[in-house]
Amino acid sequence: MSLLELENITASYGHAQALHGVSLSLPAGGAVGILGANGAGKTTTLRAISGMVKTTGRILFEGKDISGLSPDRVARLGIAHVPEGRGSLPQLSVRDNLLVGAYQRRDRKQIAEDIEYCLDLFPNLRERIKSNAAALSGGEQQMLAVARAVMAKPRVMLLDEASLGLAPSTSRRVYEAILRLRREAQLSMIVVEQNAVLAFSVVDHATVLETGKVALTGDKAELMGMDAVRRAYLGG
Amino acid sequence: MMNFQKTTRLSGAVAIAGIAALLISGCTRDAGGTGNGGGAGGGTEASPGITDDSLSLGISSPLSGPTAGPGSCTVAGLYTYLEAKNADGGFEFGDGKTRSVDLTYLDDAYDPAKAVSNFRQLVNEEVFAYVGALGTPTNAAIMPIADEEEVPQVLLITGATAFSEDQAANPWTYGLLPTYYDEGFAFGELLAGAGEPVTVATLAQNDDFGEDYLAGFEAAIEGSDVEVVGSATYEPSDTTLNPQVTELAATQADALLSAVSVTPLQVGVLTRAQSVGWLPRVFLPSNTSTPGTIIEPGAGGAYPALYSTSLTKTPVSPAVAEDEDVIAYNEAFKQYGSTITTTYTPHCVWSYIEGAILEEAFKGMEEPTRDSFMEALKSIQGFEAPLLLDGITVDTTRDDQPAIDGIELVQFNGTGYAPVESY
Amino acid sequence: MDKIFANRWLRLAALAVFAVLLIVAPLVSSRFINYQLSMIAVFAVALLGLNIVMGYTGQVSLGQSAFLGLGAYIAAYGVRNEWNLVLVLLLCAIIPAAVGMLVALAAARLRGLALAMITIALPIIGIPLARRFSEFTGGSQGTTVSFLGAPDWSGLANDQWQYYVVLTIAVVAFVLARNLVRGRVGRAFAIVKENESVALAMGVSPYRYKVLAFTISSLLGGVAGFMYLAIVQFTSPETMNFFTSINLVAAMVIGGSASIVGTILGAIYYVLVPVVAGQVNSSRTALISGAILLAVLFLLPRGLVSLPRRMSLLIGGTRRRGASPRDDQNSPDGASTADPGTPETPTAHEERQAR
Repeated sequence: MSLLELENITASYGHAQALHGVSLSLPAGGAVGILGANGAGKTTTLRAISGMVKTTGRILFEGKDISGLSPDRVARLGIAHVPEGRGSLPQLSVRDNLLVGAYQRRDRKQIAEDIEYCLDLFPNLRERIKSNAAALSGGEQQMLAVARAVMAKPRVMLLDEASLGLAPSTSRRVYEAILRLRREAQLSMIVVEQNAVLAFSVVDHATVLETGKVALTGDKAELMGMDAVRRAYLGG
Repeated sequence: MMNFQKTTRLSGAVAIAGIAALLISGCTRDAGGTGNGGGAGGGTEASPGITDDSLSLGISSPLSGPTAGPGSCTVAGLYTYLEAKNADGGFEFGDGKTRSVDLTYLDDAYDPAKAVSNFRQLVNEEVFAYVGALGTPTNAAIMPIADEEEVPQVLLITGATAFSEDQAANPWTYGLLPTYYDEGFAFGELLAGAGEPVTVATLAQNDDFGEDYLAGFEAAIEGSDVEVVGSATYEPSDTTLNPQVTELAATQADALLSAVSVTPLQVGVLTRAQSVGWLPRVFLPSNTSTPGTIIEPGAGGAYPALYSTSLTKTPVSPAVAEDEDVIAYNEAFKQYGSTITTTYTPHCVWSYIEGAILEEAFKGMEEPTRDSFMEALKSIQGFEAPLLLDGITVDTTRDDQPAIDGIELVQFNGTGYAPVESY
Repeated sequence: MDKIFANRWLRLAALAVFAVLLIVAPLVSSRFINYQLSMIAVFAVALLGLNIVMGYTGQVSLGQSAFLGLGAYIAAYGVRNEWNLVLVLLLCAIIPAAVGMLVALAAARLRGLALAMITIALPIIGIPLARRFSEFTGGSQGTTVSFLGAPDWSGLANDQWQYYVVLTIAVVAFVLARNLVRGRVGRAFAIVKENESVALAMGVSPYRYKVLAFTISSLLGGVAGFMYLAIVQFTSPETMNFFTSINLVAAMVIGGSASIVGTILGAIYYVLVPVVAGQVNSSRTALISGAILLAVLFLLPRGLVSLPRRMSLLIGGTRRRGASPRDDQNSPDGASTADPGTPETPTAHEERQAR
């Protein structure tokens, strides 16, 4: 059974419809990529799952329809959204940002261990543990955003353009950590990316969106074999 | 670790600030707390704030904020009178001594809590009496404390009835000015004495000030041929009274009691009524009747008559420039009062008159005590204080009325106000 | 570890000295000084409420004076009708809290200026209402009450007894508020203040916590109103004056936003600066107060609470020039989200360096 299932989702901002019947399935422990150009509806799909836009259609999480729930309730179900543009708490220290991530948890001991785990995952953050988030570099802020989502101990992580605006080497470090998370923490995830190479370093399946519709869907090997995908997203 | 260290330092800072608060005027309980002992001891033991050659008075008025203009005048006029007299050799007292009288003034910004703070500070600094403060809520907050501490709180500049109507219950508190009730009553009397049926519309602020006006007015017209054919109220926060005026205009009443105390609103009443073709005889309260700021902008000349009330000569008016009292006031004010404010409001004259009433009370004060002062203050009759209009005197012997007795109904004559004889 | 204990003892000692000062002060001071000390306690509680909604949760509120006035009127009404004082105090907490919650339920969906405008409306509507319903409020002339006189067994004067009463209420309010802002709720406030979309992503509803902060703020405003009446023994529409709200906001910023100690410093500032200004020149109090306000904001943008650190920076500046400024960017008293139960151990850091 899939952990998260989108059935024929539509969403719009005012009069502009952004999604026209998107369906998607995330198996437990799996990782699904969403590829597509700017404005294809990748971010909107994540926002639809998180309850941040009004939708029609069904969004099933562990078999229950969660469409229409407010974003904070969706988050409390165990769906952690790492938004595009990171969204850290700039006036708080790195450590406090991580504690914020664990806001819904009460298992103090485990929280301390998980902080250690995150700091192992992102050694850069360990060095800046006392700094305000505002003082971090773009890459470090992205790492912090991911780490903060991990601290919530989610079932599903929604990752939006984690490579946006980062140097290639930094992007790779971020995605290496994400892959580790998937393996070690058994975290299911939906990865939105423009850079398909990075996405495919983590996901097994992917869906390609075009103007709010599913254009293609398939597993990694299938998609990478297609000329259209190669040309559009793999730089050759 | 950082946290603990920080908190230590901060707690220290708070403690230091607390000590600073204690030391700010360096007084201890023994020095200040028992200022009311003089009354109990009887005999001629002097009250705090008076020596053989000096006496200290205190006042707290709004010297900042929206009421700063009138508030500053309540200090400036009194200060002028006291300093001029001090320079002239001082005040003669009933015990045969001559004393100079000094005034400590504090700002309360029309805030009752600050007024109480200031009153306590003045008592702590041993003023003999608290005089002439402006403001109804501020004085109301002080009244019970004055009673408890047995410190005179007298000649207050407020139109509320509460400070003089029950002098047995509040023996240490006393008002100076005729009340809003008296103003409303004076206008009602005029209409009642018209000798013909008169219809009248009323417009009043929706609170106890407005009610005082209406109560006085209604008491005066009871049983007469005057009929109230329309009435409306407003909130001080309203930005226009056009709806109320239009509604009242429909009655086409002969007269309008416009008990509006907000200057721009009163101007709006005058312009609106004539623009909808209603030209009644209009009564304006004393605090919103100034020709320059109300009648001219409101084109008041269009109305058959504009009435108001007055107590005093207006020293800034050229009509009385040759008056002896006016010359003395203007010279003294230029020298003393202008250091506090240069903007004239009637409160400057009222507080100047208050100085003259105090002088009269000091003359009758045979012992250097607050009890003796209160007794002397409440025994003045028929005193014609400088600048009061003819026929208005000071009578402090009435047990339910403030010090100034009488109010003169005046009529606008094109440039200023002149006494009115009949309707 | 020794150092931690030394600091803890030092901190306890400082608190003990402070407590003794608070307890002994009214016994040796004049009524005037006791009045000032009591008023500091009154406005400290009003400021505490304001700090919870503004400092800790980041929402603008310009209506705190309305809740102060509401609390004072409820207290006055209860006292006049000779209700039990504990019941009156409870009502002074519950009714303003309920009013505040209703306003917040409608307003908390708005942000920034729109919310500020709604809160401005509270004193602006409250004052004419208080004038009109004069049978409850005493109208423009206000209402005078006499209550909380010292009981005979205490051997205290009224002003001393009233001081102890308001001090007790203030201490309880501060202890509860401190626990609140240092706990989970306080952490949620901090998240909402910093970034509402992160709050949503963390499962924290900004709307709900804004309503909560505003409700607590109104509750404390109402309690401060009860304390106000206990000390001034009088209330009138002037208590709600919009300028009081503005001055409270200024005092909160001056003391230190999102800081418990800063709240107390702000109250001391609020009460004492007009007194000091009056000592200097009574005709220029507004000017002097304004100058002090500007001077503090200019020299200590983080409020009076940052004075010790600022001084140590200035004194130690020559010694430690070039030291990293990062440490200074933590919130003033570390109250925001750092968990005091699990102080950061240096081991992790050192271990890493050793590797």
